[in-house]
Amino acid sequence: MTLAWIILLPLLGAIINGYHAMSCTLRKQKVITGMVNFVGVGLPFIAFLIALSQGIPFILGAEEPLRETLFSWITVGNLHIEAGLCLDRLSTLMILIITGVGTLIHLYSIGYMKCDPGYAKYFAYLNLFLTSMLILVLADNLVLMFLGWEGVGLCSYLLIGFWFEDKAKAQAGKKAFIVNRIGDVGFLLAIFGLGVLLLPGISEGASIFNFEYIESKMSLIAPSTIFWMSSPIILTLLLFVGATGKSAQIPLYVWLPDAMAGPTPVSALIHAATMVTAGVYMIARLDFLFDAAPATLNVIAIIGASTALFASLIAIVQNDIKKVLAYSTVSQLGYMFLAMGVGAYAYGVFHLMTHAFFKACLFLGSGSVIHAMSGEQDIRKMGGLKKALPITSMTFLIATITIAGLPPFAAFFSKDHILWKTYSHGHTVLWVMGLLAAFGTAFYMFRLYFLTFTGKSRVSEEAKAHLHESPFNMTFALVVLAVLSAVAGFLGLPEVLGGHDWIKHWLNLGAGSAKAHSAHDHAMELILMGVSVAVAACAILLAFLLYRNGLEGPERRARAMQPIHNLLTNKFYVDEIYDAIIVRPIRSLSQSVFFRVVDQKLINEVFVNGSGKVLSWLGSCVSRIQNGFVNRYAFYFLLAVSVFLGIWVIN
Amino acid sequence: MQVLDNAASFQYFLPEAILGLTLLLILILDLNKELSKSRLIAPWTAGVGLVLYIVVALALRVQLPEAITFHGMMANDAFTDFFRVFSGASALLAIFLSMHSKELEGVKIEYWILILGITLGMPVLAGANNLLMIYLAMEMVSILSYIIVGYLKKSRKSSEAALKYVLYGATASGIMIYGLSIIFGVSGTLDVLEIQKFLVNNPVGTGRIALFVGLVMTLAGFGYKISAVPFHMWAPDVYQGAPTPVTAFLSVGPKAAGFAILLRFTYTALAQFNPETGIFTPLKYLDITGLMAVLAVLTMTVGNFLAIQQNNTKRFLAYSSIAHAGYMLIAAATLSSLALQGVLFYLIAYFIMNMGAFAVAIIVINATGSEELTAFKGLAKRSGGGALIALLMMVFMVSLVGLPPTFGFVGKFYLFMSVIQAKLYWLAVIGMLNSVVSLYYYMRVVKHMYFDEPEDDKSLGLKGFVFPGVVASLGLATVVLGVYWGPIVTFVQESAQLISK
Repeated sequence: MTLAWIILLPLLGAIINGYHAMSCTLRKQKVITGMVNFVGVGLPFIAFLIALSQGIPFILGAEEPLRETLFSWITVGNLHIEAGLCLDRLSTLMILIITGVGTLIHLYSIGYMKCDPGYAKYFAYLNLFLTSMLILVLADNLVLMFLGWEGVGLCSYLLIGFWFEDKAKAQAGKKAFIVNRIGDVGFLLAIFGLGVLLLPGISEGASIFNFEYIESKMSLIAPSTIFWMSSPIILTLLLFVGATGKSAQIPLYVWLPDAMAGPTPVSALIHAATMVTAGVYMIARLDFLFDAAPATLNVIAIIGASTALFASLIAIVQNDIKKVLAYSTVSQLGYMFLAMGVGAYAYGVFHLMTHAFFKACLFLGSGSVIHAMSGEQDIRKMGGLKKALPITSMTFLIATITIAGLPPFAAFFSKDHILWKTYSHGHTVLWVMGLLAAFGTAFYMFRLYFLTFTGKSRVSEEAKAHLHESPFNMTFALVVLAVLSAVAGFLGLPEVLGGHDWIKHWLNLGAGSAKAHSAHDHAMELILMGVSVAVAACAILLAFLLYRNGLEGPERRARAMQPIHNLLTNKFYVDEIYDAIIVRPIRSLSQSVFFRVVDQKLINEVFVNGSGKVLSWLGSCVSRIQNGFVNRYAFYFLLAVSVFLGIWVIN
Repeated sequence: MQVLDNAASFQYFLPEAILGLTLLLILILDLNKELSKSRLIAPWTAGVGLVLYIVVALALRVQLPEAITFHGMMANDAFTDFFRVFSGASALLAIFLSMHSKELEGVKIEYWILILGITLGMPVLAGANNLLMIYLAMEMVSILSYIIVGYLKKSRKSSEAALKYVLYGATASGIMIYGLSIIFGVSGTLDVLEIQKFLVNNPVGTGRIALFVGLVMTLAGFGYKISAVPFHMWAPDVYQGAPTPVTAFLSVGPKAAGFAILLRFTYTALAQFNPETGIFTPLKYLDITGLMAVLAVLTMTVGNFLAIQQNNTKRFLAYSSIAHAGYMLIAAATLSSLALQGVLFYLIAYFIMNMGAFAVAIIVINATGSEELTAFKGLAKRSGGGALIALLMMVFMVSLVGLPPTFGFVGKFYLFMSVIQAKLYWLAVIGMLNSVVSLYYYMRVVKHMYFDEPEDDKSLGLKGFVFPGVVASLGLATVVLGVYWGPIVTFVQESAQLISK
């Protein structure tokens, strides 16, 4: 039951706070903040401690996964699904990130959401999110994982639309939900496909969607086909469709930038550190299946590299502090998928971890800025905030250096591993794309930093009056995350720099890790590392020259490159293209055909009114039969028996 | 299979003996003038007796091997034990509801004795292995039901319902016993298992048409007990006229007993069982599946479509219970072991959600004095626990529709699953379409509760924690078992064991 408690504690928090929120709303009472804090932050913290106690043996080298079968969940004929949890090295890493970073962000939220009327509801949702995310990573089978997968989607929707009185925010929530739904269909189809393949030969009592079971049946799955195509390829492609939805990859990334409508801590927890990495986790979990589908891996690598580059270009021209970070998240997720695509699963997960630290730190930092500026998010109206927000600016700078990829901060190691693996697998074009994206990353992040914290202040007088550093519970989370993002990279100190590449050997994912030691060109690796650092340094220098004094200079230059600038500001018009080729046709089709013909004519007149008429006619007939005269009833009884007899005897 | 004599059989009859003794004990206690004044002593004694009954039945289930008892009159197998527990539990809940219903304030002790008597009849019906036993047990349940329906002597509605029930029931039972006698005439035996042997060895022999006549008449009798269309006509009138707790009881307990004998008779007499594979094969030339499928479609469709038109809460629940009998019949029609499990599973789900819905109806009728569906208007906004009760009612309604994450969904899933495995796709499609229809009228109640304003400002006036607590635990069970139903499946799998040849 120990593993189950990790999940149950946040669930308990969600129930208590949810009930409290509901009863306070109904009775129009004030929320008891102390109780909400105690439950909402305390229970996830205990969950973190349990996770730590369970995870330490794995960190110290235990290999045998810890399994817990909670109960037999679905049993129909020979289909058998158990609600089982499994803790191994990969899920240890994930639950530590989820509960650890999660607790910090809950703590931070106490300050950030202080005066919000939906305080208790907010913590209930956030705790429910932790529950779902923990189910997702601890599940030992695909169906339970899907339960968590849907659960995090639901919580994400609830929290993006948390301030649903604002129509734009409510719509952002809907957009996220609908786009995710498209991906989920892929995931579901993959589950069905696996069921179709495995169910005929299932032995008594075997839990069919169990990861271990699927792996043991790989010899059966690998040579089989679905619709004339190799089934591993089809299955993994479908799963990857699910991953592009949840993890915001091309073409389904469009919801993530809009998801910034939610409270900033939510963006940090759900839309940066944890939920959006679910797709990466899923691929790492099913590494054996993806290893059997090299074609899919190539697709993943190409999509990942394109997303990384594409999103980093868009981020360059964004002026909303959270939008920059949102596109940056999309771009960093692209790196993780690039890693997955070239078979470097461990490095993808490594980058997932470092990204969780530095991106959570950046988001919380931006939240601290927004908090101080009383809700202002436009960086053109900031500048020179360093003096007023010393801790925020310091931690933000550390995280910015980290994401830019300067040694010895964390992302240098994780990102460089990915680029090196891409190069050494012979994907030179993808490597160049990754490098360009790295240039973009360093540039837009330092542009953000300079515009927000240095130079002349462009803050309005009104906002200046109550500019203040955030309270301790908020800065505490910032400092912890900044320290983590600075040092976490040493877990993956590469061998050329005298390290042991601990994280890779520890995670031990994929078939690639077994034969990895073959051709290791140390000189080349060092050269590429130098190239990356040089590229990042150039980008930072460029950002410094352009933006240290505010926006006037760059804006003049932007006018000179009007077309490109427009293209970027409008995010390559992707939303507009989707609107034109998908949303509008569907809408006009529903207006002209489905609403006018199907709904109004067919459903309303024929089905509803028509069936209503038929029904009331039928009803009057039957109620004429059901008239209360019991002698008639007896007669109908006999009649019915005779009719049945007649039919049966004739047959 | 060993056939035990009367003396050896008695140990199998211990639970029923306990129930009979409880019944006598209540009668004796009532002779004491002091004790007879207390209105609580009889229901409490009955309750304790029922708990004891369930416990002993569960203990015997483990202790004793299955056997044919009383010289072949009864079959004591896991299936019978299931209905012992089921009958006991439904009687227990009915007694609990009766104690909290205003309609039944000040009832005399006969009322509790009648409930115990019906409860005694139900497991006997479920275990009957002899045509005579079937008939006797059926009458035991029916005749006591007639009396209890007319228990409110001052209510004209109640008396009218009872009289209709008697007359209709007499017709049905007359037709059934005629059918039974024809079967006896053709096969020369009253023993159900012997009848099966005769049918297998004599597939196209003499008396085939007479046999069909007998079977149809017998099935009509069973159909009357489970209120299957077109033998359902008594149900709406009786359900509306009877005191609400009695309606709740009749729609669950005796209906389940009717299903028990229908299943036992069709599975053991009209099908062949292969003990090695565990597969039932219906006797081809009887085409029992076709007959029951037609019954099922009629039952679902008529029940659902007439439920739409009802404005009286009890009549509405009556038609809803007819529709649910239809869902169970579509599975029963396939005569497969998966369907057997599915029906037992669904009975449990139906028990919880239907009893819950009736309990809420009792609360509303107690508070408003109105049996109209409009009494549900604005329930969520009423003081005195309205929000909680409305929430629970919504859970029951959602579960009766069969939407996840409720127990009703899982139950329906298993029913439709067995139909699809039997490749009767058209039947499953009709079943699902019917579920869609039912969505309309169940959700109308939810709409009343949440979107309309109450017509008066009466408080629900719930006092104490016991009654709301029991209703809330039914609601909680509906949701929890909708997510975690593993143990129920195991229990049902163990229970779906019939003695057959």
